[in-house]
Amino acid sequence: MFKDIVIFSSIVMISFVSTNVKGQIASSGWKEEDRIYSKVFDAPLSGKQLRKGTTLYQVTSQKPTVLALIFTRCTGVCNPFLLELKENIELRTNEKNFNILVMSFDPRDTEKDLDDLAMRFGLSEDKRWEFAVTDSIRSLVQSIGFKPVWDSLRQQYDHDALLIGINSEGYITKKLIGIRNNADLGLLLASIQDSFTPTYRMANPNMLFSCFNYDAKTGKNTPGLGLIFVALPALIAMVIVLSVNFFVRVNRI
Amino acid sequence: METLKLRKITSVWIIIVLTLFVVAIVLGILMRLNQGEIIQQSPITFYGNMTTHGLTMIGIWFVAGMAAVNYLLERYVKTSYAANLFALVLTVIGVLMLWCSTFIGEFHAGWTFLYPLPFKIMWAEWATPLFLSSLGVLGLGWLVWSISLMAQILKKYSISQAFAWQHFHKNPKVETPPFILITMITLIGVIACLIAAVILLILFFIEYFSTGSFVNDALLMKNLTYFFGHTIANEMLYLGLAVIYELFAEVSGRPKWHTTWYVALAWNLSLIFILTAFFHHLYMDFVQPEGLQIIGQIASYLASLPAAGVTVFSILVAVYRNKINWSLTNLLFFIGVAGWVIGGLGAVIDATISNNFILHNTLWVPAHFHTYNAMGNVLFSLAFFHWFSNQYYHHKERQNTLKLSILLIGGAGFLLAFYIGGAESIPRRYSTYPSDLPMGATLASIAALFASLYLIAILIFFFNISKKCLKILSSSPQSS
Amino acid sequence: MQQSILMLFLGLLAISTIVFTYVYQSSQKATDLDRGMANPLKSRFWFLLILFVILGIFASVTIPKSPYYFYADETPSRVVHVAAKQFAFVLSNNAIDPKNPVGENAIELLENELVEFRVTSFDVNHGFAIYNKAGQLIAQTQAMPGYVNKLRWKFSEPGAYSILCLEYCGMAHQIMRSSFTVK
Repeated sequence: MFKDIVIFSSIVMISFVSTNVKGQIASSGWKEEDRIYSKVFDAPLSGKQLRKGTTLYQVTSQKPTVLALIFTRCTGVCNPFLLELKENIELRTNEKNFNILVMSFDPRDTEKDLDDLAMRFGLSEDKRWEFAVTDSIRSLVQSIGFKPVWDSLRQQYDHDALLIGINSEGYITKKLIGIRNNADLGLLLASIQDSFTPTYRMANPNMLFSCFNYDAKTGKNTPGLGLIFVALPALIAMVIVLSVNFFVRVNRI
Repeated sequence: METLKLRKITSVWIIIVLTLFVVAIVLGILMRLNQGEIIQQSPITFYGNMTTHGLTMIGIWFVAGMAAVNYLLERYVKTSYAANLFALVLTVIGVLMLWCSTFIGEFHAGWTFLYPLPFKIMWAEWATPLFLSSLGVLGLGWLVWSISLMAQILKKYSISQAFAWQHFHKNPKVETPPFILITMITLIGVIACLIAAVILLILFFIEYFSTGSFVNDALLMKNLTYFFGHTIANEMLYLGLAVIYELFAEVSGRPKWHTTWYVALAWNLSLIFILTAFFHHLYMDFVQPEGLQIIGQIASYLASLPAAGVTVFSILVAVYRNKINWSLTNLLFFIGVAGWVIGGLGAVIDATISNNFILHNTLWVPAHFHTYNAMGNVLFSLAFFHWFSNQYYHHKERQNTLKLSILLIGGAGFLLAFYIGGAESIPRRYSTYPSDLPMGATLASIAALFASLYLIAILIFFFNISKKCLKILSSSPQSS
Repeated sequence: MQQSILMLFLGLLAISTIVFTYVYQSSQKATDLDRGMANPLKSRFWFLLILFVILGIFASVTIPKSPYYFYADETPSRVVHVAAKQFAFVLSNNAIDPKNPVGENAIELLENELVEFRVTSFDVNHGFAIYNKAGQLIAQTQAMPGYVNKLRWKFSEPGAYSILCLEYCGMAHQIMRSSFTVK
């Protein structure tokens, strides 16, 4: 009996280990902690959908904003990063109380470059999305703590894929570095609405059995894979009771 | 009825439990003396003793309850001697392995060995696997024993009878004795928490042997740790209650207790509450979802209802204005129930999240669990030991009042120091206290003094009971 | 707060002791004619009902006071990042790099400003407990590796505050501490 349980639980565990390793992307969690609750620089913006002279605060004061920093000549992470963001946002068709502002940190990029980018992604008609450049990009990235490094050999910026959550008062409430899943995005969207979550998980490639995932719909943590393990002892105990019962009955007859 | 073999193995259990109890009390007193700055131990020695003290106490009072339940269960069903012996051998081996890891290997991660502390080696390299293996050995022995006892119950009673579900109808045909009901409920809880320990140990060992490629989730591990740790500490008390249900009326010369619908309901509900109350250990981990935190508080509150409404109330009803043949046995039961109630009050206060915010991991925590162990569960088991050994070698009971007074005064003083320490925000698990918390050392010295009184009382019980148990061990079949 | 909890406990302790002593003495005085409690089932029902109501009230009063809801609808004006590691705390106004954990030498907070402590651990579980000058525990959360716990608090009194580790973390647990001041 006991042996069976051990074998059973080992099989369950090994199958979890083997199937769930992928899909977890490493990111240095601590960098996301930088500049939280500090004010972002109120940069003047220019973009196709924006009125002339609009500043960042004017955008955020209308609706809390998710800011994505990219550059159009990027041959690396920017495209998959934007694509993932687009897909995740498309899953949230009913949520309209935020803007997504895509900005270039490359001074070479023009309003036209950003407009082309929006067209390429099929987002130029989407009301929730804005694409913009600014002439004070240096002050903006400094206020965010974003440090792209120019690699002259590759003619590319070496940079993080960074999402910044900005609430309606212009404060940075959360950052996400790297291409992240929909649940993490939900955490960011909750933070810009100023809904307080007393905790969150740091991104770590090695942790397989997270007990809880954040559900943006309800604003609560939901049971994750690890929680099965918390419930498992009680379930196995019940199975043991029933099997022992079955076993002694059969033997008695 | 019970065989001579069962009588002898029960005597062996009693002698082992009492011997280890004395050793573990001495370790506890040494800890309080060190905190009181009366003796000077290195922190490593202190925390090593703390680890040994904790796990030894949990282990012995769990097996004491199991041995008593096994002995009394023989009145209803045939129990397996082999399983009992298997558990005995594995318990002895397990305790020796544990002591090796702490006393020789200087392992000192605490008996709750909160992940990932056992992997931050501050002791001999081999002590971590040895400590974890010792838990595995203890767990295996106890799991086999629990499943075997449960199997014997299920041979005679169907599942619904074992849970006394037929008592929810009027005039049930078969009566499930309360002892069977409580034993069954408790054994399921025991099995669940031991399975939690098995899963926990497997996860520990996977990480240990994976050399870095597998890392556990700290929150999951903490949940599993307290599923095991809290539940086993809770269930060992319930084993003691099963013994009370069986023996209290009998030794008091009162009619035997019966299972009624509310007794059945209360104990069935207890099973659910026990298995979810452990969440109250994670209140200060804000990372745990609020839902579970609130379940933790509500389950901890609700767990007190069947306990107070049925067990405590039944004891009071049985005694109130009834002529009772008071003896040391039922006095110990009665005082033990009072101790359990008082510890329970301390526990309910601490199981309130907003109180836990300022009490968590202060001395309030050891205060309440020492109350229902040292002044509750220990007394239940001592009562059983006394009753058991007196069956065969009856001596006139002398100076009961003196013995009990020393026990009570010692216990009360020792516990009060904990409670006051908790209210003074003195942290638990500190080998010495910082100078800005001067009350800590003073209270520790006072506690050590009272704990020594408690030890004296226990030594008297130890000698009286062990003497009789040794006689049982040397008795031949003819004399039985 | 702690003192009133202690008083509540001592009160309940006294009541239980009196009840048990009274019941014990009633049995000492009892004769063979005594029949015990009249209609215990009914008294049990009332006892349970009262207990249930008291616990219900207690739960509904205390649960909203849980630390998870503190200042949930305000934006903090200060963030203090806390990283615990065997056997020290790193406190910083900026995010703390695990590879190079450096913090500020002294953290100064303002009276009555909303502070958010973002507490994590780089190794084992630790506790993050704030003690006031009188040595009284006023707030705490756990530091768990891989997670960040956010504790929001307003300090109403200026002065020196200590931080103690309240989760056993190894042989120097008792000396693991830090401090900050409130002006």
